[in-house]
Amino acid sequence: MDVIGVALWVMVAGYMGGAGLALMAPSPRAVRVITGIGAVVGSAAGLAAALTVLATHRPFEVVLPNLAATTGGVAIRLDLLGALFLALVAAVSLPAAIYGIAYTAAYDGRRSLRAFGLMFNGFLLGMSLVPSAGNVFTFLLAWELMAVTSYFLVLTESEHSDTREAGLWYAAMTHFGFVLLVPMFLMMAPGADATTFADLRAGAAGLSPAARNGVFLLAVVAFGSKAGLVPLHVWLPRAHPAAPSHVSALMSGAMIKLGIYGLMRVTIDLLGTGPEWWGGVVLVAGSLTALVGVLYALAENDLKRLLAYSSVENIGVIALGIGAGLVLQSYGLHSLALVGFGAALLHSVNHACFKGLLFLATGNVVHRAHTRNMEHMGGLIKGMPQTAAFFLIGSAAAAALPPLNGFASEWMVFQALLSGAQIPRPEIAIGTPLAVGVLALTSGLAAACFVKAFGISFLALPRSDAAARAREVHWSTRAMMAVLALGCVVLGLEAPRALGHMYRILDSLSPFPGAAPPSPATSGTGVWLLSPNGIARASPLLIACLLTLVVMVVAIAIRARGLAVRPADTWGCGRIRQTPRMEYTSSAFAEPLRRIFSELYRPTEDLSVIVHPESPYFVRSITYTSQVVPWLERALYDPVIRGVRTLATYVRRLQAGSVHVYLLYIAGALAVAFVSAWWAE
Amino acid sequence: MTLETLETLETMMDAMFSQLVMLGGSGMLLTGLIVLWRKHVPAYISAYRWQAWLLAAVTATVGYFGGDWRLYVVAGVLVALKGIAIPALLRAMQLRFGKQPQITPYVNTETSLLVAGLLVLFAYVLARPWVAVTDLPTREGLPLAMALLFVSLFIIVSRRKAITQVIGFLMLENAIALLAAVGTYGVPLLVEVGVFLDALMGFLVMQIFAYQIHDTFDTIDVEQLTRLRH
Repeated sequence: MDVIGVALWVMVAGYMGGAGLALMAPSPRAVRVITGIGAVVGSAAGLAAALTVLATHRPFEVVLPNLAATTGGVAIRLDLLGALFLALVAAVSLPAAIYGIAYTAAYDGRRSLRAFGLMFNGFLLGMSLVPSAGNVFTFLLAWELMAVTSYFLVLTESEHSDTREAGLWYAAMTHFGFVLLVPMFLMMAPGADATTFADLRAGAAGLSPAARNGVFLLAVVAFGSKAGLVPLHVWLPRAHPAAPSHVSALMSGAMIKLGIYGLMRVTIDLLGTGPEWWGGVVLVAGSLTALVGVLYALAENDLKRLLAYSSVENIGVIALGIGAGLVLQSYGLHSLALVGFGAALLHSVNHACFKGLLFLATGNVVHRAHTRNMEHMGGLIKGMPQTAAFFLIGSAAAAALPPLNGFASEWMVFQALLSGAQIPRPEIAIGTPLAVGVLALTSGLAAACFVKAFGISFLALPRSDAAARAREVHWSTRAMMAVLALGCVVLGLEAPRALGHMYRILDSLSPFPGAAPPSPATSGTGVWLLSPNGIARASPLLIACLLTLVVMVVAIAIRARGLAVRPADTWGCGRIRQTPRMEYTSSAFAEPLRRIFSELYRPTEDLSVIVHPESPYFVRSITYTSQVVPWLERALYDPVIRGVRTLATYVRRLQAGSVHVYLLYIAGALAVAFVSAWWAE
Repeated sequence: MTLETLETLETMMDAMFSQLVMLGGSGMLLTGLIVLWRKHVPAYISAYRWQAWLLAAVTATVGYFGGDWRLYVVAGVLVALKGIAIPALLRAMQLRFGKQPQITPYVNTETSLLVAGLLVLFAYVLARPWVAVTDLPTREGLPLAMALLFVSLFIIVSRRKAITQVIGFLMLENAIALLAAVGTYGVPLLVEVGVFLDALMGFLVMQIFAYQIHDTFDTIDVEQLTRLRH
């Protein structure tokens, strides 16, 4: 038992202790603190274990064969890929847990905090065990633990019917994924008692091409439903806003990444190289996801839904990286494929960092503004300057602005896609530039989206009393945002080094045995991020230096010319008084795009004007409502829902309501059992 | 005594054992049929009491011939619990409900008896391979126990009064106990104790339900529960 083993035991003990003791704590405050302490101990230990594995490059393995022996026992195997995702989960849950101590004070007396503490720690335990699992049973157990506990966390505010609906969607989608996971693993397993990932790898090597394709498609759909690939993303914009904000941060930052983890584990590690259309499938899904995600994010007025759609977009970007990697790998271009996969991994980490930060900041905003609707916010920067600053950093990172972290990974995804040009095949020659175009459009729209998110919520005049009275929340919540904001900056500046780590992690996986280790040019040492062909280069650190320099020069120049800051009113077009009603609204900001992409949004518009009874020229009030119709969702899911409903009405006939009929079922079942036993003689 | 006489004696003993078990099992099945045929609750209760005593007798017989003293204990508990305590509780229940209006069962008496006959046949068919492979002296009791099991299930399904259904359940439980006694010479004492407690608990829960149904609907016609479905 070495240090990693001890750390993992402490992690499990921390989460379990947090979950168990939270149930017994006497007062709401004690429950919150114990929940937080358990989660902090657990995630700190998890982080320590993961970082040790990452630093020593030595996988950790432990098997507990007596635990659930009939299923092959619980096996933990923490290799570099798993350790990266464990580190990612722990790095988001540590600040989220501390944030939660103060944040859940809002639930004191209103909700069962004890149940919340149990579920929260169970959720973190499940998420930590998924990347640590070494066999199918452990993986599925952890996966289900994560799914069930997060379902209850989504239902925290179950008094709202929206929340209950979100919970239903989430439960349905997550179980849909689970149902596909089981056959996927079974197809790879060479025997009923050989279910460790090493066995699966050996089993997958012996499969027929058709079966390998089946496994791959099941993996894309099953893990895609967790990650939120379009059109399986429907639960994300419902469940993330419904959950408490630090849970949203965890779900959006960490949990959906485990879908990415599963996809990478199965396609890259277990299956190895596949035909090129595998990459094509992931590229198409990624392009669609990125574009649909960002477009819906732009049209959204609900701040948390906007962030959830933005998560969909980022999953699309990650999928683009994986898709590019798969295509390149199928042509034997391993060192180029590494760039795609490495960019995907780096973007997973980066997204976890900035999306965690954005959700935590939004939690504070929602806490003070008492609404998630941006049309009722505005001017928050005056009351909550620090939260605003952190939100700005997160937004800039999400908009992929250098030198923050979102930039580096998106740039590398671009480079991976551009390397597709090296493959002399017409469909790839057409496809990769298209994907580049989609990614470019997505990046631009994401920038617009976050300008809107920050500008409408934090700038200008407050649109409601609550927004006007907004003040900063407890210092601990701000401290945790500071930690994540620092992460965004450091990951941005140190992106070349982080990317180098990603390459080394991928290098340790089986499909890259001695694959020419990434050349020094791409291994990302030094300050430069390099494109694989070595032509393009970018350095977030140098960009940061340049920006600092420009700011300083401008500041000095202003000072030198004696220009002072003069507070004054904004120019109001000659009007005497400015009111919030004259502001740019969230809907108005997105209106041009709504018109351009009207085919996607298909907005419903309803304009009602109430005029003075005496003269139509005197308007009393104008009400304008416009809603985006998620027709894609409806077209795909309505038939399914209708079908299930119809089926359910048939099944309900079994339930006649008469005790005698039920008893007859029992008697009939018994008779059938006897007859079948008799038959078998 | 010579060896032959010993063997003859053993055969005679076995034959007697077999006869006694058959007698007890048939008696139990008969008491089950009484429920289908009579119309008043007191008759059911006394049928049940008879059945419980017969079960105790069969268990004691198996204990005597099988040489297992623990079955005497079981038989004693059976008499105390099922022969005395539960009939008394059933009587109390019946007194509390008072005179109930006649409730016709779903299946009338003639058809019920016909169905019961078919069920007994079915039980014999099902138990045939089983009887063929064992050489226990008690094997003739197996189809009887199965028959009682099916008849009790039929009682539960076809009768509408809550109290009749409770008696049906208790008879089902007796059938399983009989099956255990003749099929395997009883189960370990610990399991037996567990089953007693289970049966008692089940009975008490059903008693509460019957009271609740009576208080809510002013009848013990279980069909009224259908109204609970929205």
